[in-house]
Amino acid sequence: MNENLFTSFSTPTLMGLPIIIMIIAFPALLYPTSNRLISNRIRTLQQYLINLILKQMMAIHSPKGRTWSLMLMSLIIFIASTNLLGLLPHTFTPTTQLSINLGLAIPLWAGAVILGFRYKFKTSVSHFLPQGTPILLIPMLIIIETISLFIQPMALAVRLTANITAGHLLMHLIGAATLALFSISTSTALITFIILLLLTILEFAVALIQAYVFTLLVSLYLHDNT
Amino acid sequence: MLSRVVLSAAATAAPALKNAALLGPGALQTARIFHTGQPSLAPVPPLPEYGGKVRFGLIPEEFFQFLYPKTGVTGPYMLGTGLILYFLSKEIYVVTAETFSSIATIGLLIYGIKKYGPSVAEFADKLNEDKLAKLEEAKQASIKSIQDAIDMEKAQQALVQKRHYLFDVQRNNIAMALEVTYRERLHRVYREVKNRLDYHISVQNVTRRKEQEHMINWVEKSVVQSISAQQEKETIAKCIQDLKLLAKKAQAQPVM
Repeated sequence: MNENLFTSFSTPTLMGLPIIIMIIAFPALLYPTSNRLISNRIRTLQQYLINLILKQMMAIHSPKGRTWSLMLMSLIIFIASTNLLGLLPHTFTPTTQLSINLGLAIPLWAGAVILGFRYKFKTSVSHFLPQGTPILLIPMLIIIETISLFIQPMALAVRLTANITAGHLLMHLIGAATLALFSISTSTALITFIILLLLTILEFAVALIQAYVFTLLVSLYLHDNT
Repeated sequence: MLSRVVLSAAATAAPALKNAALLGPGALQTARIFHTGQPSLAPVPPLPEYGGKVRFGLIPEEFFQFLYPKTGVTGPYMLGTGLILYFLSKEIYVVTAETFSSIATIGLLIYGIKKYGPSVAEFADKLNEDKLAKLEEAKQASIKSIQDAIDMEKAQQALVQKRHYLFDVQRNNIAMALEVTYRERLHRVYREVKNRLDYHISVQNVTRRKEQEHMINWVEKSVVQSISAQQEKETIAKCIQDLKLLAKKAQAQPVM
């Protein structure tokens, strides 16, 4: 049971070969491209959704911030699709691995911060001191703000990892509970199954929301720094 | 790939050629011609309107047609059921916790697709239709504006045909004005000439009057000079006598 619970999070191998790269690259295959003006339904819907998200997310940025549009859109689509695909049975979700999330969070955060410090040094440094603080508290507050700044990438990565991993684990555990209760008392198993259904609905929502939150926060860091 | 099909067809047709098929592909690679077609991007070939038909959302209809001649209608279903039961009974597919979560997930997905599928498809179709309608609108507006321009041009051309009336009227006006000016000038010339001639006539009249007067004066003067004093007395006495005679005659006759 213990072995079964965590095997879904191990690096996937196919006959001894790590195929993690292919698994990470796979969701990109699900988004069709075309040169046509009017395409089939799935492509129309995809165009519509991406336009919607793009407008909503990049509206607050200046033109300098909008150079990051491609990056942020790719980010949200990658995280959303990997999360959603991970809900299917027997799939491996890359975003459950802290390594991948750190790999996403640290470069993006560092890029935004370095951009801010390079082009708008005074504004970036002024973020360390909120307005209207008593003079005695200033040194401590600056230390706290610095720590808060450096914790941002960690928070991004760990938030995503923890949410998705926790969701998967919970689904696994409740499924196991249903399985165990199936032979003991069917009605309890049914109740547990209904809980599982509700949880699955939540997981779908969480998958999308986490993608959104990640990208939104990166965009906020960008907005602060451009 | 087509070359392989051709070679296998040739192999089945003539078994003697089967050995040739083994080194056929190698020979064919050297002789293959590339880019023989004329690929063109316009007009873009139309997309098919409906996808391939599937049963259970997974298995294409062609599979059922493929099995139909040998196993009839229930063949593929028996195959499917048998396969599933085989996997379950032999524990090739193990019922674990993931089974239940997968039932939950996939059940939810199927429910969602069945319930909201048509409305989402309609939405996508509407998006496409709106796009086409906008472009069509632009095209129609352009055509209409050009048509309006053509109509106006035709109207202008028709007007141009009738322009000669205007020119005739203008020509008449000008001719009349010229005529008037000519007559006016003629009249002025006439008046001027008459003026001159009148002057000459009045000069002549004045000269003649003056001559007459002068002559009369001269005659009177010479007559008065010629009358001596004695003649004057005799004339006056005779006049008084005549007057007295007349007066007597006048009193004698009664007044009527």
